Amino acid sequence: MNTRAIPAALILGLLAAIVLAPLAGLLNLGSMPGYETGDLRFWQSGYIRRVLYFSLWQALLSTLCSVLPAILVARAFALQPGLPLRALLLRLFALPLVVPAVVAVMGVVSVYGSDGWIPLGRSLYGMNGILLAHVFFNLPLAVRLLLPHWQAIPLAHWQLAEQLGMSAWHRWRYLEWPALREGLPGVMLLIFMLCLTSFAVVLTLGGGPKSTTLEVAIYQSLRFDFDPVRAVILALLQLVLCLLVASLTLKLHRLPEVEITIDSTAPPTTSAFKPLQLMLILLASIYVAMPLLSMLLDALAGPLAVVLVRGGLWRSVLNTLFIGLSAALCSVGAGWILLRYAADLAQRGRSGRARLVDLAGSIVYVVPPLVIGTGMFVLMAPQVDVFAWVYPIVITVNALMGLPFVIRTLGPALRQNNARYHLLCQSLALSGWNRFRYLEWPLLRRPLGLATALVAALAMGDLGVIALFGTPDTATLTLLIYQQLGAYLIPHATVTALLLLVLCLGVFWSLERGIGGRADA
Amino acid sequence: MYWLSRLCQGTLLALLLVSGVHAAMPTLTVYTYDSFTSDWGPGPQVKKAFEAQCDCRLDLVGLEDGVSVLNRLRLEGKNTRADLVLGIDTNLTAEARASGLFTNHGLTLEASALPEPWRDDLFLPYDYGYFAFVYNKERLKNPPASLRQLVEDEDGPTILIQDPRTSTPGLGLLLWIKKVYGDQADQAWAKLSKRIVTVSKGWSESYGLFLKNEADMVLSYTTSPAYHMIAEQDQRFAAARFSEGHYQQIEVAGMVVGSQQQRLAREFLQFMLGERFQKIIPTTNWMYPAVLAKASLPAEFSQLIDPGKTLLFDDSQVAAQRRQWVDEWLETMSR
Repeated sequence: MNTRAIPAALILGLLAAIVLAPLAGLLNLGSMPGYETGDLRFWQSGYIRRVLYFSLWQALLSTLCSVLPAILVARAFALQPGLPLRALLLRLFALPLVVPAVVAVMGVVSVYGSDGWIPLGRSLYGMNGILLAHVFFNLPLAVRLLLPHWQAIPLAHWQLAEQLGMSAWHRWRYLEWPALREGLPGVMLLIFMLCLTSFAVVLTLGGGPKSTTLEVAIYQSLRFDFDPVRAVILALLQLVLCLLVASLTLKLHRLPEVEITIDSTAPPTTSAFKPLQLMLILLASIYVAMPLLSMLLDALAGPLAVVLVRGGLWRSVLNTLFIGLSAALCSVGAGWILLRYAADLAQRGRSGRARLVDLAGSIVYVVPPLVIGTGMFVLMAPQVDVFAWVYPIVITVNALMGLPFVIRTLGPALRQNNARYHLLCQSLALSGWNRFRYLEWPLLRRPLGLATALVAALAMGDLGVIALFGTPDTATLTLLIYQQLGAYLIPHATVTALLLLVLCLGVFWSLERGIGGRADA
Repeated sequence: MYWLSRLCQGTLLALLLVSGVHAAMPTLTVYTYDSFTSDWGPGPQVKKAFEAQCDCRLDLVGLEDGVSVLNRLRLEGKNTRADLVLGIDTNLTAEARASGLFTNHGLTLEASALPEPWRDDLFLPYDYGYFAFVYNKERLKNPPASLRQLVEDEDGPTILIQDPRTSTPGLGLLLWIKKVYGDQADQAWAKLSKRIVTVSKGWSESYGLFLKNEADMVLSYTTSPAYHMIAEQDQRFAAARFSEGHYQQIEVAGMVVGSQQQRLAREFLQFMLGERFQKIIPTTNWMYPAVLAKASLPAEFSQLIDPGKTLLFDDSQVAAQRRQWVDEWLETMSR
């Protein structure tokens, strides 16, 4: 055990406790009188088989449709560092992630619905709609997560490629693909998990119960027929499924053979396919911008003044900010400790173990917040006044859900940094705070900024467990949107959604800029 | 790390404030659904009116919906903070009764506006409504006149509905079709499914899609057009009247056993059946108040359709067969 192992073990233990204790609590509840478990043979029912098949199939398709184009778009962005409005476009790409699902569904319908700009009619409902919405959410995220891998390719390599007269294909094969292989599997896994656990999108745009995911089945078992054991079994099934997929993606994972630098300058812009790249960027930007634009137009036509001057609104804004920032802080803190430990392990040649730590941090995402929340509730309700614990619980669950994003954004950079400077640090006896202050902060602040911004924005847009716990006065903006939708106030909800978007954009921008430094992404 | 310690202090302070000590005044805690407590629901007005008369604090805790309220209460059991539960409906009362967590209200409901006389020792109704398909009169000229016509006319209107696994109106439609078609419900669903544009998780999603003209009709309530008439001065929306009658939903409140505030809870139930509370309901919850006479409703309510025959299963039958019926529905709809 070294000094790094202890805090990391603590965090891992905490993760296990936060995920497993609620499951145990729910299982225990199942043995109490009044909670007869339904027929456990649901296992063999055609329903569950169909649900499993559909969950996997739609998640797989959505992942491929998001990640493959995203590689091309990220590459185009990487090779066009001087593109006008580039920073703005990349910031736009962070937005879909924070749009609450139900609002995004409305945006997608505004664009592709029967009265939309590109009317697809009823064929929207089914796999088409699911894919359109999932790609809207995940393509821009994948672009943001993949882009730094190009920026990690040293200038010298580009120059060498130039001198050797490499074709674009060879550059891709020998320069870009090896750099990408460290990050791509993780990004694919993350997006697979996001699509697998997608709920409102699948149920609303899926066209009917044919499109039922495991997540829906889990939710169902915690509602009319309150069956905690069934919920836990399904949640574990989902976890196992993700572990299987994770082990597949790890096969693709390779660390680069030559250690590469962090602070590279932009690659040379002499690219033969410039018009094609511009076209790709343009198409992707239009695709992402259309639903957002339709939301903007709807909101601007809505009762702006009525919504914005309401007394309770600004309280919700503060609640939302508080939850978003606290969750980001916890998540980035925990992620940092885990990643430092993983980087240490990798440094000492134990990359298998390093991957496990990485995996533990990423996989927590697939345990549904509803299951964790209900389980926590079961455990805590007899001991404490749960109402006093709403904030800590909501922040914990959001931090947990944000952890995979931290691992993905910060992980590769931190590992490369460690590999490159570890020996130097040892010879200079640079450690602890000084190491952070003089080495890690300057080199890692950019991914650190992105990670913090992502988690904060994500937590701000999450309905999460707040709705589950319910208190007299903890309304967040997302909850407010749902309340307005539930009260026929759809125009009001669009305005609130716009406010949430603007707020998220503001937070994202200030965190990324404030922590990350330069405006470039 | 100065800022970090400040942030920790801030977090602690916020936690203390949240858990803050309440005033010495007695507090009546009511679990309900959050569209009741939201600024647009009856909650704020109810709180103000009741606190003015009771010399107490009324704490309305909003959960996702009626189902969550009951689940929450069952999870908390004897440790619950709730003195009263408001917002479970007649499809859940049998399970609520079986939980043993409710106590006799000891009141009698004499002048109810409900079509049937109310007899229940544990629960008292505060409002009710009927499920219906709502449409835009300018876009759909000839709405179906019966459920059978909606189901069987292959060129009939497209519809948006909610999922009976997750939503109360969704379950309502399932029961409605069961009531009209009995054993032939599967065939009815098979026919209808061709014209279902999508099945959403909750009411909000499908109603939102309907307002974006994604389908001709949406499953909602007979009272929905009143919202558009009163709040938006919009006369375009109407509910289709079905000759078989409409499935009814009655929302009720009940006192939690072992509450320290029995007297206050009973006072609240009395207040709930009184004119002040009842007059708040029509234009905030958009339902029919359970006690108030039709004549005292806003004028626009007289333009709503008369549901004719009321359809309602016995709550114990719903509790016993819901799971099986939902499974059958899934089987038919997943084909």
